[in-house]
Amino acid sequence: MSMDSEKAFGLFRGCAVDVLQVEADQIRLETRFIEDLDADSLDLLELALAVEEVFGVRVVEEELRGIETIGQAYDLVYSKL
Amino acid sequence: MVSGLLDGKRLVVTGVLDERSLAFGVAALAQEQGAEIVLTGAGRGLSITRRVARRLPEPPDVYELDVTVPEHFPALADALGRRWGAVDGALHAIGFAPRACMGGGFLEASWEDVGLALNVSTYSLKALVAGLLPLFRSAGGGSVVGLDFDATRAWPAYDWMGVAKAGLESCARYLARDVGQHRLRVNLVASGPITTTAARSIPGVEAFRDTWRARAPLGWDTEDSSCVAKACVALLSNWFPMTTGEVIHVDGGFQAIGI
Repeated sequence: MSMDSEKAFGLFRGCAVDVLQVEADQIRLETRFIEDLDADSLDLLELALAVEEVFGVRVVEEELRGIETIGQAYDLVYSKL
Repeated sequence: MVSGLLDGKRLVVTGVLDERSLAFGVAALAQEQGAEIVLTGAGRGLSITRRVARRLPEPPDVYELDVTVPEHFPALADALGRRWGAVDGALHAIGFAPRACMGGGFLEASWEDVGLALNVSTYSLKALVAGLLPLFRSAGGGSVVGLDFDATRAWPAYDWMGVAKAGLESCARYLARDVGQHRLRVNLVASGPITTTAARSIPGVEAFRDTWRARAPLGWDTEDSSCVAKACVALLSNWFPMTTGEVIHVDGGFQAIGI
């Protein structure tokens, strides 16, 4: 499956807004999960589940290690599309 | 039609956090074997449990149960009473210890942290059994299975969670003593190390892996929890009718070997 990056990011942002309970304009590529959004490992785990449901991809827990920004998480997902 | 081991059983499954959770494997196999199940989730993990529930063969309802909130137990019992009128079994897969309680620093951990670990990981077994007891009695008995890690010896990194598990083993025996009159069985499954999300949060846990694989007569695969699910489902079934207060080791035989 291939998807336009802008459309994909829109869907990704929707997942993040839903899971992290933040405003859409807070979800930018450079946004940091911990420092900017006060997110924890459970938030990341739930975001991964939400992304899997929306994009039909598989994100394993090991891949979440080292992910610090929205951009890094989005790149991980987009690389699987 | 081949009948399932748990046909007609109404089960409460706690501790499903993600698809790697031991409880997820038990829930999936229980459904496959004919059980009707509900899940419970707590606090921040509740919404995650609800998402993961949708990935089970038959997406079950999820009830809130934070074992540190006493009011949640009667609320759960009320809801299940209205739903089923009785409960045939429960899986206790609940454990938590603050970071200071594991991975070294055994001597430094505060009572505040240790107390929380014991409340969530040990006392909650009693709270679950007592909270659901009227529903087990309505069913004419049942089976409670708890997830354990062999607590008869000290392990690297496991620290106060090991103490909590030792308490869990003792708690299961006392519960077995006190609820046997109601035909309710209480047993634990002591699994070898499985790479779950919860296990990953234990600093230094990787030290277990190679040793376990080498020493267990049957070998051990830290990625495969199906053996744990099978043991739990067997204990939840009618096939261990006279077994209670027991710890069943599902560890490749590791516990039987000295060196």
